[in-house]
Amino acid sequence: MAATLIVVLVIVLAVFFDFTNGFHDTANAMATPIATGALRPKVAVAVAAVLNLVGAFLSTAVATTISGGIIREGPGGVAITPSMIFAGLIGAVIWNLVTWLRGFPSSSSHALFGGLVGAAIVGAGFESVDFGVLLTKVIFPALLAPLVAGVAGFAATRLAYRITRLPVEKSHRSGFRVGQIFTSSMVALAHGTNDAQKTMGVITLTLIAGGALPTGSAPPFWVVLVCAVAIAAGTYSGGWRIIQTLGSGLTDIKATQGFAAEASTAATVLASSHLGFALSTTQVASGSIMGAGLGRRGGRIRWGTAGRIVIAWFVTLPASAAVGALCELVARFGIAGVVIDAVAGLAVIVAIFAVSRRRTANTTKALEVDVALNSVMTRQERRAAEKKRGDEILAARRRLSDESSLFELGQESSR
Amino acid sequence: MIDWTSFLLVAAVSIGAAALVVALFAAGLRLLSVEAHRGVALTGAYACFAVAAAAVLFGIWLMVPAFHA
Repeated sequence: MAATLIVVLVIVLAVFFDFTNGFHDTANAMATPIATGALRPKVAVAVAAVLNLVGAFLSTAVATTISGGIIREGPGGVAITPSMIFAGLIGAVIWNLVTWLRGFPSSSSHALFGGLVGAAIVGAGFESVDFGVLLTKVIFPALLAPLVAGVAGFAATRLAYRITRLPVEKSHRSGFRVGQIFTSSMVALAHGTNDAQKTMGVITLTLIAGGALPTGSAPPFWVVLVCAVAIAAGTYSGGWRIIQTLGSGLTDIKATQGFAAEASTAATVLASSHLGFALSTTQVASGSIMGAGLGRRGGRIRWGTAGRIVIAWFVTLPASAAVGALCELVARFGIAGVVIDAVAGLAVIVAIFAVSRRRTANTTKALEVDVALNSVMTRQERRAAEKKRGDEILAARRRLSDESSLFELGQESSR
Repeated sequence: MIDWTSFLLVAAVSIGAAALVVALFAAGLRLLSVEAHRGVALTGAYACFAVAAAAVLFGIWLMVPAFHA
């Protein structure tokens, strides 16, 4: 009975983690096309959600380790108990929500590893964690990922501007916006094939540990389905705060830069997952955008924001480890401890959502206008007004991110 | 310790692939603006876009294990 309860709790929490993973990472693919007006915000998150859903079905592997070798699990090592997974997941979910509240793009996988490491240290002792693997799989890649992606983004942006430079004729740089749709879609699809798999692995291994599945089984279809839907729903709900940080907080992005940045992200993510040196998608995407920001003449990076993001990356692991360790400490009191963990975790999650409602990201004023208008307009009029405002915002974004020659701008204003 | 060979390989391939795809697409856009020899320039532009599209398809092929595993 108690064992079943923990397994059920782990599955519910893992699915919720998958959801936070989705909305945390929408920005990686869709921040730049939204910022340049290549896609409307709603369309962008819908495209990303569909591609994540498809991606989750395209790639399902037999899960062998939960922590990717960071914890000495399996034969000859420690057994990761469902209560450790549960504590680790609480740490990961809470850290994901805290970074989302502050608008920081941080790696969901690192949060999960951190939570598990914390829980394993309390549950099975310090020697259960392979700190060498931790260093080579998490710490060093966190330094190298933005570097590689940054150089790629910088070189690609320079090249794009150099090739399309025209002294007199009409430039077609606004055409990069069309390209952005494709490169961003690639990033979204890659995310679906990579990240949904991790949660499927956690759930499958928990079921195996709980005795519901034989050792070495592939994820059952319902697990694949639930994980795919959760990550897609998370993606569709759009982590707007993080989209704002990556789309306009780090640097002002033009269509050319957006295309170059997403092309670099897609290339780096694909190369890293097929040539055996895993890099975090979130860190790659942030690095590409910074590189693209430096690549445009006159482009500026807001180093304050960039510095805070990098600090958040390095705090991710210890912070989620601390929460994971605390939860495992409580969970060691048996089933009552697990229930206390579940209730406390839920309370923190609800509290974070309550705070996020109070400080809605940059939309507060727009909402006030909406409320005032809603009272006097019919639904049809309200929709028309919303559409008009949306169109105006889109037009403004396109104008700002456009780099067509001045002749064309003149024609537009005289028309 | 850290596997520097595979890291350098990943770095080189990432930077090379990103530069190649972006250069192709940019060259296509550049050719769209060529006024002289309109027909030749347009053909070149579409050829550039086609090769860039092939690179995208290769990326999708890489992502789906069923195609190559």
